[in-house]
Amino acid sequence: MKAIIAATLLGVIMMFTGLFVKDKKQVVSVAIIAFLALLGITVWEVAEASATAPAMLFNNMLRIDSYALWFNMMMAGCTFLYVLLMGKDVMRVGNHVAEYFALILFILCGIFLLTGYNNLLMLFLGIEIMSIPQYILAGADRRNLKSNEASLKYFLMGAFTTGLLLMGITLLYGATGSFYITDFTFLRTESLNPLALAGILFILVSFAFKVSAVPVHMWTPDVYDGSPTAFTAFMSTIVKAGAFVGFLRLFHIAFGSLSEHWMMIVALITAATLLVGNVTAVFQQSVKRMLAYSSIAQAGFMLFAIAAVNASAWQGMIIYGVAYSLATIGMFSVLIKLKDYTYDGFNGLAKKQPALAFFTTIFLLSLAGIPLTGGFMAKYFVLNAAVQQGDMLWLVIFALLMAAISVYYYFRVIIAMYFKQGEAEMAVEVNSSDKILLGITCALVILLGAAPHLFLGSI
Amino acid sequence: MNAYELIFWLLTVMAISCALGVILSRNPVSSVLFLIATFFAVSGHYILMNAQFLAIVNIIVYAGAIMVLFLFVIMLMNLNADTEPQKNRLVQLAGVVSGGILFLVILAALKSSTNNMLEQTSTDIGLIKNLGKTLFTKFVLPFEIASVLFLSAMIGAVVLGKKGEEGPQTPKGA
Repeated sequence: MKAIIAATLLGVIMMFTGLFVKDKKQVVSVAIIAFLALLGITVWEVAEASATAPAMLFNNMLRIDSYALWFNMMMAGCTFLYVLLMGKDVMRVGNHVAEYFALILFILCGIFLLTGYNNLLMLFLGIEIMSIPQYILAGADRRNLKSNEASLKYFLMGAFTTGLLLMGITLLYGATGSFYITDFTFLRTESLNPLALAGILFILVSFAFKVSAVPVHMWTPDVYDGSPTAFTAFMSTIVKAGAFVGFLRLFHIAFGSLSEHWMMIVALITAATLLVGNVTAVFQQSVKRMLAYSSIAQAGFMLFAIAAVNASAWQGMIIYGVAYSLATIGMFSVLIKLKDYTYDGFNGLAKKQPALAFFTTIFLLSLAGIPLTGGFMAKYFVLNAAVQQGDMLWLVIFALLMAAISVYYYFRVIIAMYFKQGEAEMAVEVNSSDKILLGITCALVILLGAAPHLFLGSI
Repeated sequence: MNAYELIFWLLTVMAISCALGVILSRNPVSSVLFLIATFFAVSGHYILMNAQFLAIVNIIVYAGAIMVLFLFVIMLMNLNADTEPQKNRLVQLAGVVSGGILFLVILAALKSSTNNMLEQTSTDIGLIKNLGKTLFTKFVLPFEIASVLFLSAMIGAVVLGKKGEEGPQTPKGA
């Protein structure tokens, strides 16, 4: 609860900073302090929380357990790293720098609600608080037509799926007379109300949209490609992980006992997401667009945690969320420094910026899931959860096949950097603080691969 | 059939036929007018359920404010049949087929449902006094948290809509 209040208040403070501080660089410094404060508060909350009983707040509207607190801390940490790495790039997007950071803080408030909701009303508010600032951030570069298109497209489709979510919530309420997710566990397969089943289906579709799963992924490439790169990095990583935890909570806590009804649908969505994401990514010419498709493919792996209803899935979700976020934020912060976003733009980067090329290689290896990086452990955890669940061996084998395909398009960047001749042109100067921060991100990715249990705490 | 049921069916027929009018009419202005009529019919249902506050708000906010705004936008854009985008036959067919399949699936799911929608026991829940009480006791957190949502929408309006200072091209103070 402290984190939710802090994110909101810091967002408001950030907003007023824009009024009083005119220098953009100072605004970024204030933002860094704000995000550090938020990280501190989430750490404080983790430290003081009792491990046994989750806190039930406001007539059981929120149920904040140690998992939620731990996940909040991880996300606040990733966001802090993101602001450190990309703060200068956010500054270049437009004139409303303070407002952009305020919106990012509000998104975090939405994510904190999604990790702790116990009532469908809070789920709806969390999803909306997370989505609406994203529509704005997507269109922040007003002079760019693609950014405008991204914003409008995202808004229209997002509003439509929010309608589906509400429809699902209504049907569930009609069937059970309750908004509390813990009340749905009494839904038994024998006496299942068809209204509840239809409601679960509607909610499944709207969540699939929010995490960009196939067949409702069509917005992803356009939105991620059109948005300013600094915001794509945030939208495709931390927000996606937050939406996934909301998804996980609902389908495991509330509908876990009904898993036989929706497990097959989720498994098919997973297979389709893996197939479409990976195969389409192969044919992309722009690295930014490739990363958009790769985010669909990675969502496919995260869907394993939804499909497998067991404790390993919850662990896998944290590990996957953090590993994917770290590597993708790192990748985007390198990409944004280049002038040309195509594969050719990376030609000869290793000669010009050996450190940058090395860090990029580590991030790409992690995304591909090569051992000793965080991505490998993440894939191991979610696939392990699916194996424990049983009945899903075909899906696991299929996922491994798809991971092999993903190696192709990630390695194309590495090959361009190391083996192709060319002059990789930089859009902005790379200074030593950038390199140090990228090095820290890299170290975290490797640490996650070597000792994943450090990132699980007491979960 | 008593008066209550008579009004119920009247409003229902009106709501459904006006809703069909919204999507079937070619002229966008008449679509909006049909939508306003739909809102009035739905508000009538709210009054039947003893939810006066909801009914009034529905009329003031949706039929009054939002729909008038829609009407203005449509009139300013000057839409007519010529500006309507030409849709591919194949796409139309695909839309009809997939929509029909969804309809069938939901119909099949709900067919076996034997009127087990929960009945609302208390009938005066929609009165302003009771609504205010619930809003500030049981639902106080969602009520307050919604302000974050509106605040971010307001920031969005400023960020996306504010004029001038469009970056390096625009000369400052000129």
